[in-house]
Amino acid sequence: MRKSFDLKSFLTKNAVTIMFVLLCILCYSFSGYTLSGLIGQMVDRLTRNAFIVLALIIPIVAGMGINFAITIGAMAAQIALLWVMEWQIPGVQGFLVAALLTLPIATFFGYLVGKLLNQMKGQEMIGSLILGYFATGVYQLLFLFVFGNLIPMTAPNLVIKGSTGIANTLDLKPLNMMYALDDIWKLSFDRALYVVAGLFIAYALIRYLLKKLDFKALIRAVVTMVVICAAIQIPVVKGWFATIRIPMVTMFVIMLLCVFNVAIMRTKLGQNFRAVGQNGVVANAAGINVNRTRLIAIIFSTVLAGWGQLIFVQNMGSLQTYGAHEQVGLYAGAAILVGGASIVKATNGQALLGCLLFHLLFLVAPAAAKNVFGDPAIGEYFRVFVSYGVIAVALVMHAWSSHVKAKPENAIKEAGKLATDNT
Amino acid sequence: MIKSIAARIVACVIAVIAVALIGMGVFGTSQRTSPQGAALIENMRNHALVNATTGEGAVDSFVSAAQQRARAETKGQGMDAMKKAVAAAEAEVRASMSNMKVDLDGLDTAPLSTATDALIAARKDYSNAEEAAMQAYVQDMIEKGEVEGSAAPADQAEQAPVAVDGAGEAGMSDLEMPSQSDEPKVDMSGFTATPEMDKMQGIVNERFEDVSAALVSIQPLLDRDAMAQLEGAINQLVYQPGDRFETEYDRYVEAGGESAIPNDLMTARIIRYGDDLITVGIGLIILALLVLFYRKIVNAMGFPRMIIGGFFILLCIVAILYDLSIADLLSNTIVRMGMNSIMVLAMVPGIQSGISLNLGLPIGIVGGLLGGLLCIELGYSGLPGFVFAILVGIVIAAVLGYLYGLLLNRLKGSEMAVTTYVGFSIVSLMCIVWLVMPFNSLVLRWPMGGGLRQTVSLEPAFQFILDRFLAFKIGGITIPTGLLLFMGLCCFLMWLFTRSKTGVAMQAVGNNPRFAEATGISVDKMRIIGTMLSTILGAVGILVYSQSFGFIQLYTHPRTLGLVAASAILIGGATTGRARISQVLIGTFLFQGVLTLGMPVANALVPGSTIAETMRILISNGIILYALTKSGGDSRA
Repeated sequence: MRKSFDLKSFLTKNAVTIMFVLLCILCYSFSGYTLSGLIGQMVDRLTRNAFIVLALIIPIVAGMGINFAITIGAMAAQIALLWVMEWQIPGVQGFLVAALLTLPIATFFGYLVGKLLNQMKGQEMIGSLILGYFATGVYQLLFLFVFGNLIPMTAPNLVIKGSTGIANTLDLKPLNMMYALDDIWKLSFDRALYVVAGLFIAYALIRYLLKKLDFKALIRAVVTMVVICAAIQIPVVKGWFATIRIPMVTMFVIMLLCVFNVAIMRTKLGQNFRAVGQNGVVANAAGINVNRTRLIAIIFSTVLAGWGQLIFVQNMGSLQTYGAHEQVGLYAGAAILVGGASIVKATNGQALLGCLLFHLLFLVAPAAAKNVFGDPAIGEYFRVFVSYGVIAVALVMHAWSSHVKAKPENAIKEAGKLATDNT
Repeated sequence: MIKSIAARIVACVIAVIAVALIGMGVFGTSQRTSPQGAALIENMRNHALVNATTGEGAVDSFVSAAQQRARAETKGQGMDAMKKAVAAAEAEVRASMSNMKVDLDGLDTAPLSTATDALIAARKDYSNAEEAAMQAYVQDMIEKGEVEGSAAPADQAEQAPVAVDGAGEAGMSDLEMPSQSDEPKVDMSGFTATPEMDKMQGIVNERFEDVSAALVSIQPLLDRDAMAQLEGAINQLVYQPGDRFETEYDRYVEAGGESAIPNDLMTARIIRYGDDLITVGIGLIILALLVLFYRKIVNAMGFPRMIIGGFFILLCIVAILYDLSIADLLSNTIVRMGMNSIMVLAMVPGIQSGISLNLGLPIGIVGGLLGGLLCIELGYSGLPGFVFAILVGIVIAAVLGYLYGLLLNRLKGSEMAVTTYVGFSIVSLMCIVWLVMPFNSLVLRWPMGGGLRQTVSLEPAFQFILDRFLAFKIGGITIPTGLLLFMGLCCFLMWLFTRSKTGVAMQAVGNNPRFAEATGISVDKMRIIGTMLSTILGAVGILVYSQSFGFIQLYTHPRTLGLVAASAILIGGATTGRARISQVLIGTFLFQGVLTLGMPVANALVPGSTIAETMRILISNGIILYALTKSGGDSRA
């Protein structure tokens, strides 16, 4: 009895994720992809996109919904990258300089975005969406008419003669920046797994020695890891992963961000995020500077998104100057929602799972549509539809549940409104 | 206080500058026909003529004339001798030309002037005769029925639409309207000169002889052959059809005529740019008024409307300065206003019933598109086809709008984000539907697989049906009477509705839902009515838009239309909570005016750039952001 109830609530709570899993399986079965080919592509896509998706978590916790304005962070990264290319700093140094340069630019942009979003509380999502579009216009002005014209660019291939502004595509290969981060340390899949398993066991051991973990749990962790490492030795499984090489540094950077997302929630600032996210009025009454907290959340998100975009671009090997940032917000937002996050609650796990599922569908849907309907365009449109649809469904579901919940709270809300009006 | 004093001082300074500019401009334009202007032009013309007979290009024609002569003389004496003679002739001419510098100051230019005047008169007569003859020819051909008809706009390449947008949001590039010229095109290749024209040409030739005689008397080196070489250039220089002071002046400047009048250069330039000076002066006066009455104007119109209005005026001024055809631009603006207005009107019931900006407008648009497609598929055309399309569109939109209204009723307070994404999802869902739609008409679908076309021509159905109805021209501006009447009708009906009992109830719900509920109005029902109306107007709007545009645009095109309509009404002065019909008209006019003027002006300023598209993105999204900050500031802590 109890068990069936749990199942039901599990199903309703994770409806979107489950639907997506089924959809992915369905599309996969028609797509004609081999498992090993698929896994290879997915590793690529995951390492490339996960960072940006993870950058969405803090604003969600701070109650600002999905920050579609992370496109602006991506733009900051692209501006930084342009200057690194102008200065012709090659390879890893170039990447690091771009990352460093992204920090002040994205902080500044994030500050502006945060200021504006504080002006439209309750409408942050549509606000950040439109703001992203608006910023695209400013970005075009910057890249078409300021860089290369008012501020001359000397490096080769940045400006194409006879056309205005920066070239459409900027190639990172001449500067050895393609795979700058990925290629520092690559391991085959099984070795990467051993490293991760080793780290995990070491972590569990430290926790045990610090008496935060009992012996049973430690044994369980060790056994799980050993079993996984053993499972990879099975020839069939080994075949799936045979050709795959894991960019360890990129993986570690992503893991670091996950740790950061958890760690920051344990600090005073993180508690403030949470308090503001749950109820701005109460947080205000508790002496938290609501506007400042929201501003910091957006700045974090913008800077992280900028770095995420750098990771994305170095993996792609070339920068689509006018298009690379445009869909960042949409895809990242859809991905995190697919993973089971809502617009008020999100975790690292949901972000990673969502990223995996969303990009899996991205991969298999066009192939499946081509095989079934003979027209890859259907699959293309389908995945665009899914991106928008997932967000729409998530918004509807959230608005629906809060609408139902809201009724008895109306009076409290009104009182709160009055209180803040008076201050 | 200090601020207002400073503003007044600034305004006064600007006004003084403006008056000075206008004064200069009026003086300049009035001088164009005066003796002084004529003298200046004549002086420049003479100089330009002499330049043309001694300058770089002239030297080359002399050389080639001399070479030809040498070749003729040495004919039959073998290649080497010929080559030598040619080279020698060239060297000789170049040497003699190198020190050929004519100083007009000491010479009597009267004979040249009179001869040139006569030549100009003759050329004028000739080109008038030519024009008349051509018109007669065209008339003749039309009567014979040999007309090609208005050129059918080139269809997109015949291939399936695989280019799914990755970029998307910036993709509304219908700024370039397909040409709507009514002028029938007649093949002019059969046209030959009439006897009268030949006679005129004879006079022109005679007059040219006089001019060349005068030139030869000034410049003894010139001879008949050289003059024959230069005839075309000189004729082009002295007169071109439709000549005015400005065009003549520019031509002579190009030919180096400005050095003829070193003392009067300033005056000459004032005369040349007199009209531009007046335009700038008027612009400055407007600016001065803006500075002076800044506060009052902002209070009366609101900040965004003032900015956009000012921008519109600025664009007009720049357009005049760049000699763009204001009449054409205004005609375009009116058409674009008409075609967009219904979709903007669709925002009104949404805002009034309290669902805020209906960014889910694409839902209604899809209904309208389906109506239009059905009309083509069933082969209806003309007015019945248009009515049929509208009716089908209304029915589909009403059903969709009802469901959409039910959804929105459960989402009170967070409509905008939801509606945007619901609209986006519907558009991308319809992209798939367009691909698999089982239509048969070849107007609609690609000949080989691949679903419906990206753009479907409405030529066989109801292209321009409203635009052309009773259309007429006033001073170069084409008035699309039918379109404006339809727009007026829709606005009037909407106005009637807001005065009706239901309309008043709906507005009450939008203004204060709780009060409305207390008085016994069903809030949910009124919101559904508002949503349905908005959706239906969206369907009608896209049909009006398409008939004016000439094509139905499928796939991702409808996605941004909701945002465009929303920004238009916000520019008109509406907020996310209040809207009037007058704001629809003002907003659509300003927004479309800025877009229509923006593109040619931007192209004049920075040729070949996409700055107009960038501008559209900035204006349309900027105004929505502005409105959002206002609504957020009002209703929330």
